[in-house]
Amino acid sequence: MKRRRDLFVGFLLILPALIVLGALYVYPLILSVYTSFTVQGRYGLTNYVKAFDIYWRDIIYSVAISFATTVATLIVSVVVSGYLRFKSWKFLELMYKLPLFIPFLIVGHAMRVFLAPHGTLNNLLTRILRIEELPGLSRSWIGLVWAFVWIMTPYATLIVLGAFRSLDSAYIEAAQNVGASKWKIVIDILIPMCRPSIMVAFILTFVRTISSLTIPIMVGPASPNMITVNMMFRVNYFNDWGTANALGVVSYLIVMVFAIYYLRFMAAERGGIKA
Amino acid sequence: MRKLCGVMLLIVAAVLLAQANIPIKVTLTMMVAGDQNMVDFFQYEIAPEFEKLYPNVKVKVVGTGPGDAGSQQIIQQLQLEKDSGKDKWAIDLVVIHEAGTIWAIERGLIRPYTDFLTTRRLVTMKTAEVALGVNVNGYVMPMFHSQTAIAYNPRFVKDPPKSYAELVEWVKKNPKKFGYNGIKGGMSGVSFVFGWVYWKSKNPDVLMNGPFDEKYMEDWPQIYAELKEFNKYVTLTAGNAGTLDALNRGEIWMGPVWVDMFYTWIREGRMDPNIRLILPEPGMPGQPMYFAIPTKAANADYALKLIEFVTSPAVHAKYIVDKFNWYPAIGVEYVVPHLGKEVFERLYRDIKEADLLKFGKRMPIADYRTRMLEAYERWVEK
Repeated sequence: MKRRRDLFVGFLLILPALIVLGALYVYPLILSVYTSFTVQGRYGLTNYVKAFDIYWRDIIYSVAISFATTVATLIVSVVVSGYLRFKSWKFLELMYKLPLFIPFLIVGHAMRVFLAPHGTLNNLLTRILRIEELPGLSRSWIGLVWAFVWIMTPYATLIVLGAFRSLDSAYIEAAQNVGASKWKIVIDILIPMCRPSIMVAFILTFVRTISSLTIPIMVGPASPNMITVNMMFRVNYFNDWGTANALGVVSYLIVMVFAIYYLRFMAAERGGIKA
Repeated sequence: MRKLCGVMLLIVAAVLLAQANIPIKVTLTMMVAGDQNMVDFFQYEIAPEFEKLYPNVKVKVVGTGPGDAGSQQIIQQLQLEKDSGKDKWAIDLVVIHEAGTIWAIERGLIRPYTDFLTTRRLVTMKTAEVALGVNVNGYVMPMFHSQTAIAYNPRFVKDPPKSYAELVEWVKKNPKKFGYNGIKGGMSGVSFVFGWVYWKSKNPDVLMNGPFDEKYMEDWPQIYAELKEFNKYVTLTAGNAGTLDALNRGEIWMGPVWVDMFYTWIREGRMDPNIRLILPEPGMPGQPMYFAIPTKAANADYALKLIEFVTSPAVHAKYIVDKFNWYPAIGVEYVVPHLGKEVFERLYRDIKEADLLKFGKRMPIADYRTRMLEAYERWVEK
C-alpha cells in the first residue's frame, strides 16, 4: 500500500515535466509528421515526392555543410582544449567562450559584412597584399562553414575541455615520463580516453548546425540552400506546410541516424566499463 | 443638516458626472506585416496623431515581420481568434500583403468595409479591386503602392540599360556587376524574376490578370533556361538590404531595389545619394499594402477611422509620401496640393509618373506566382 502511494507521489512529481514535454515536444512532433503526409485533407506521399524532387540537392548539401562544420569545429576545439589542458592562458580561456554570448543574428550580420567582397577582411587583405577585387567569402559555402565554426566552437570546446581536464593527470604524467610529446599525448591519450565526450560534442554540433536558420539565410549562398531555408520558403511564399513538414521529417531522420549511433555507442562503452 | 447637504451635493455631482459624455477607453490593436519602417510608421507617426484626435483611444501596434511571412503570421493569429469562437476578436485592424489578403478572404477572416470609407473614392489604381487576379473589392483599402526598380551607380554606369534586353547585353560586358537576391532573400529579387518572365513570355497580360491555364506556361522552360544563363554573369546578393549594401560598397553597380527602401536609406544617410533609379522596359512589378478589418474586430469603428485618417490626402502626403517615400495609394492629383515641390521631384525624379503607369506592372496572379517561384527553384537553382 505504502509502495503504491510512493509511486503515485513520484508520478505526481514528474507530471509537470511530462506535461511540458508532451505539449511542447511530443505533440508538435506528431503533428509535424502527420502534416507531412497530408495534402489538402488527403493522405499521401505527394509532399515527400515534391520535397525530394525539388530539394534532393539541398538535403545532401545540408548534410555536407553540417558535417564539414562539425569536423572543423572538433579540430579547433581539440586544439584549443589540448593547449589549455597543459598551459593556462587566461586570454584564450576568455576568448573561446566569447561567441557563446553573441546571438546568431548578430553573428550573421557581422559575418556578412566581414566576409563581403568589399568587406572588412578583404579591405584589410587588399591593404596588405595590394591585390584589388578579391573574391568575397560571404554568400559561399566557405563563408557559411566559417560562420558556423565560429559559433559552434565554444560549446564543443566546453565539452571537450571539461573531459580533458577531468581526466586523471597520472595518465599524462606517465606518458610524459617515457618521453611522449604533448601533441602525442593529445592524439594518443586524451582523445581516445575522452571519446564519449567528443562524440557528444560531435552530435550536438551537428544537430545545432543542421537546424540553424539565421546563419544560412544571412551568410549562405543563394543556392543551394540548407533545408531550414527551404522550409521557411515553402511556408512563407506558398503557405505550404505539407512540404515544409516533409523536409522537417527528413531532417529528423538525418539527426536520428546519429542519435541511434550515439546511443549504441554509449551503451557499448558502459558495457565495456562494467566488464 | 450640514451632513445632509454634503451628501446631496455628492449625489448631484455623481449624477452630473455620469451624464457627461465620457468616452470609453479603447485599445485599438493593429497587426502590421512589413519591414520595421512600417511598424515605426504606425507606432511613432500615426499613433500619436490619431490619439490626439481621439484621446480615448490607445493604438497598439504589433509588427509581424517582412514579406509574406509577416502576412502569414497575421493569418495564423486571426485563425486562432476564429477557432476560439469568441464574439469579439482581439485584433482590430491588419495591414497585409496581397497574397495574405486572398488567404484571409478565403478563410473568412476579414470583412468588407470600404463602402463606409470616404477616401476609397480617391483611389485610382486597380489594386483596390484586384489582388493577384482575385477580386478583393470591398475588403481592402490600399495603404500605399511600392514599386521595384533597378538602381545603378552613375560613377560606373554612364549609360544604364533601359530594358531587360539591354541589361542582358550589359551583364555580358560587365560580368558580376549586376546583383540581385535570388528568390529566397526578399521580394526585390522575386520582382526582378517576375519582370524577366513578363519580358520573355508571349502572354504577360494573362500572367498578370488570368485566367490560369497551364498552356500559358509552355514557353517557361526556355525562359528560365535563359535566366539561368543570365545568372552566370550576375552576383547573387543577400536579401533586399544586401543588394543596397553591395551597391554602397561598390561590389555591384546595378541591382533591383524597392524604391521606398532606397529613398529612405538615402534620407537616413545610409546610402550613397548619387545612386539613381531606372524602371526598365517592359517593366517590373510593384505591390500595394492593404488595410483590412478582421471579421469580428472588437473596435471596427475606430479601425475605420484610422484608415480614413491615414488615407486622407493631407496625412497621406505628409507621412506616406514625404516621410516614408512610398507612392500614394490615392490618386496623385489629390496628394500634390499638400506636397512640397522638392518632395514631389524627389519621388518622381528618376521614374516619372508616366513611366510608372507604363512600366509599373502588377504581381502575377496567385497560381502563376507559385509556379514561377517553383520553376525558379527547379530550373535555375540547379
